[in-house]
Amino acid sequence: MADSSGPDAGTTSPATSVVRTLTGWTGRHALALAALATAAVLGVVAYLPIGLVFAEAFLEDGRLTLAAFHAVLTDPFYVGPLAGVFEEPLALGTHFSALFAWVRAGFPAVGMGLFGFTAYQAALSTLASLALGLPAAYVLATYEFRGRQTLRSLTILPFVLPGILVAAGFYAMFGQAGTLNTLLGTVGLGPYPFLSRYPLAVVVLAHAFYNAPLVARITVAAWESLDVSALETARSLGASRRRAFLDVVVPQLLPAVLTGALLTFVFTFMTFPIVLALGGLQLATVEVWVYDRVGRLAFAEAATLAILETVVSLSLTYAYLRYESAQASVARVGRPPSREALFPDWRLETLCAPRRLAVVGYGLLALVVFVGPLASLVLGSLTDGSGFTLAHYRFLAERQATGASYQTLPWPAVRNSLLFGLATLALAVPMGVVIAVLVARSRWGAVIDTLAMVPLAVSGIVFGIGLLQGLVFGVSLPGGTRLQFTGVAAIVAAHAVAAYPFVVRTVSPVLGGLDPAMVESARALGATRARALLDIELPLVASAVVAGAAFAFAISIGEFSSTVILASGGDTYTMPVALERYLGRRSGPALAMGTVLLVVTALSFVVIDRVGGRFEHR
Amino acid sequence: MDRRTLLRALGGVSVGVSLAGCATQDNGTDDTDGLEDDGLEDETDDATNVSDPDGDELEGTLWVATYSSMLEDENPAGVWIEEAFEEAYPGIELEWTVPDGDVGHYIQRAQQGVEVETDVYLGLNVDDLVRIDDTLDEQLFVSLERDRIERIDRVREDPSVEFDDPHGRVVPYDTGYISLVYDETEVPEPTSFDDLTEPEFEDALLIQNAQYSDPGQAFLLWTIAEFGEDGYLEYWEALLENGVSDRDDWWSSYLAYLEEERPMVVSYSTDQVYAVADGHDLSRHQVGFLDGQGYANPEGVGIFTDSEKGDLAYAFIDFLLSRDAQAEIATRNVQFPAVADEYVDLDESFTDYAFEPDEPVALGYDDLSGNLDEWVDDWARLLATQ
Repeated sequence: MADSSGPDAGTTSPATSVVRTLTGWTGRHALALAALATAAVLGVVAYLPIGLVFAEAFLEDGRLTLAAFHAVLTDPFYVGPLAGVFEEPLALGTHFSALFAWVRAGFPAVGMGLFGFTAYQAALSTLASLALGLPAAYVLATYEFRGRQTLRSLTILPFVLPGILVAAGFYAMFGQAGTLNTLLGTVGLGPYPFLSRYPLAVVVLAHAFYNAPLVARITVAAWESLDVSALETARSLGASRRRAFLDVVVPQLLPAVLTGALLTFVFTFMTFPIVLALGGLQLATVEVWVYDRVGRLAFAEAATLAILETVVSLSLTYAYLRYESAQASVARVGRPPSREALFPDWRLETLCAPRRLAVVGYGLLALVVFVGPLASLVLGSLTDGSGFTLAHYRFLAERQATGASYQTLPWPAVRNSLLFGLATLALAVPMGVVIAVLVARSRWGAVIDTLAMVPLAVSGIVFGIGLLQGLVFGVSLPGGTRLQFTGVAAIVAAHAVAAYPFVVRTVSPVLGGLDPAMVESARALGATRARALLDIELPLVASAVVAGAAFAFAISIGEFSSTVILASGGDTYTMPVALERYLGRRSGPALAMGTVLLVVTALSFVVIDRVGGRFEHR
Repeated sequence: MDRRTLLRALGGVSVGVSLAGCATQDNGTDDTDGLEDDGLEDETDDATNVSDPDGDELEGTLWVATYSSMLEDENPAGVWIEEAFEEAYPGIELEWTVPDGDVGHYIQRAQQGVEVETDVYLGLNVDDLVRIDDTLDEQLFVSLERDRIERIDRVREDPSVEFDDPHGRVVPYDTGYISLVYDETEVPEPTSFDDLTEPEFEDALLIQNAQYSDPGQAFLLWTIAEFGEDGYLEYWEALLENGVSDRDDWWSSYLAYLEEERPMVVSYSTDQVYAVADGHDLSRHQVGFLDGQGYANPEGVGIFTDSEKGDLAYAFIDFLLSRDAQAEIATRNVQFPAVADEYVDLDESFTDYAFEPDEPVALGYDDLSGNLDEWVDDWARLLATQ
């Protein structure tokens, strides 16, 4: 876009000047237009469908009622001991004496109710994800080693995997007859019943498998946008390495770390198939009951449970965003920190330095937790009961070559996944950046930002039902016609709506950390707000934008339900959909398709990061 | 409901089927045989066989909804059905559609007043009919006019294919049995429900979530058939006490079983067909019926009320009951035929490894109606709060 907003546009023909005026207008209002477009997409593809389903919670036979909420909130199965409080909110005396009796009895274990347990396992999962994700961020951001950039690109790979594939990977890795026990068996240990004995731990680990990469990727992005000069100043003033890290680096990273923690909590609070696939009903979450109620077409109760989930998630999000926006811009972005070689030489002394040993130890752990399940999946796709076989890949090849038009073919699935992924990236990144800019210094920033996070904080099952009822069945217009929105455009819009919150969350903390004076000087020199964003701010936060773009792509690749729901016939299926459809009484074909998904996605991430890398280090 | 009334409700039929099941004649019907053979080989197909001149007069497109494995499996029945049906009725074009959410999709459409554009649904279970009637005031599927289905009398007369639908909306096209699959090197053969609560089966059994999974729900209903609605939860408490463990669906539970997490899993009585094909050791794939019973899960076909292609739809249903179709659907879906033994020829490679119980058990429409959701929810709450 030519910058025509300057005062000396020169002498040109009237037509050109009209165009110039128009482009000038759009240039000046680009941000506002983009914000409007974002709001329109959100309105149609998120708020309308979600609103339709949520409304069911308040309606009974056409009358407004809170009966459904009363029923849920007074049921100990859902809310544990709080049921009594909701039953009689004003009977404070009773509640206090009950509390007192409980304290006197020495805090005996209390049933947590479904909501309590859901929050509990989400908290554990968040801690586990931080514990596994932050060391990875540290290693990737502070050390230089061969394949570092590729490894950084691949960190979010687990994030795109369908739940069933993760379950399959965990069984294949940690099962009694799994890879780990086979390896332990070679040194005379085991087999250990890892999965059966500690189901909660296994589910928490599976959640960490998904979300530790998320924590790592967001933190690395912030780390690479750090200003190293403050660190150098601190060191030159005599601060120890540790002190400089704690006082300078940690405060700058904290927003990103907490963002990762928040997203992990919100995700695992609404976790669904993985808990049941690995642990069973004793680990049931609220979302399990949402799905059950939707399956029984009891939408009022499903919507009620989902609204309560969303209230919890959004409250937490709002609290966090208040904190984030209160963080004053902590630093100017200057030179990014340099990395030291992980293994500068191969002397034993260097290798055995405690820090390097810790890194190697973490690497081994990561190998077991992250690489193990993935490698076991690939192995599973190459074996059957009698050993090595290519039969499952032959199935894919034959289906591709001879499949009927109504069957699911592997190549269109790969092609659609990539196309939808790129289109989602192209839509979600501008949407996310616009929201991030809007909320950066607005007084209502935290409120707008919280509303913008709604797609993340709403049950995916309810969102799917909303898409079906709102967009597929359509809204009936006078005259008997129905306004419907399905097909490729709807699928991409739905993917973008699910994906853009990640762009906001990765970009926002870094953008908020920029010195506003830079933008102000650019504006004072005549740049439009949009131009200042493109020329000054975005290059400085490029690492975060690239991370956000990778997330957007990942969300699109991994998305399942809206892709299926919005398909208007024809071949709009993607890789996870194909995988699900190949899932019969045998696991082989689905695992082979899962391996294809892994390979295609891994290559895509590497490409995205390489292309994005050019913008990062201009 | 005690077991006697239940069995009465099921017609009280006691069927004696050999373990090797429904093998009848072995005349080597080839998978690739076209439908023309049907009329030739099948002496009971008289004027109704597919070379019936009426067949050529039927014209149009028939939309059939089904579940995805019907079309996507390695050797899918759906592909055969489409080709053979279009060959038998050259004027008809069969179009498949796979709705997300199965029958629930159409129930929601009807709820929202959106027209159903599909003609036939292939893959109805008893609980689908109950769900429809518990949710909708109007009929989603028509009451079938049985005299328009020439081969209707071929359907087996036993509980394994019985829907007990008061509206007569469904014709069964195949059936399967829920049973136990166990590792004989680790546990003895389970022979009764009480066995499962014994110490020798402690921490042995894997089941599926009855909220989402067909076999999981079938196993729950089987315990209700055995212990009655007043006694089943007590039995489940004993099962939980003995360490029963659930997974969300058949797939996860079977993955866990294959990775040797547990020596026993609720599965299908056709388990060995797959185990043999995949080269697994059969000692880990023993099929166990409890008290000689297996829980039957018949699959049926119905015609949507909105359909205006009644003639084509009836022709399609009749076709599904033909000799070749019954054999192909059974072997490709790895299920049992819905017709009596004399109307189908199954290959030995199938019948050697697919077992039918002496006594099929199933709860019918009347048993489930108005009860199913509550039974499942009470069960799920028991497991979730253990």
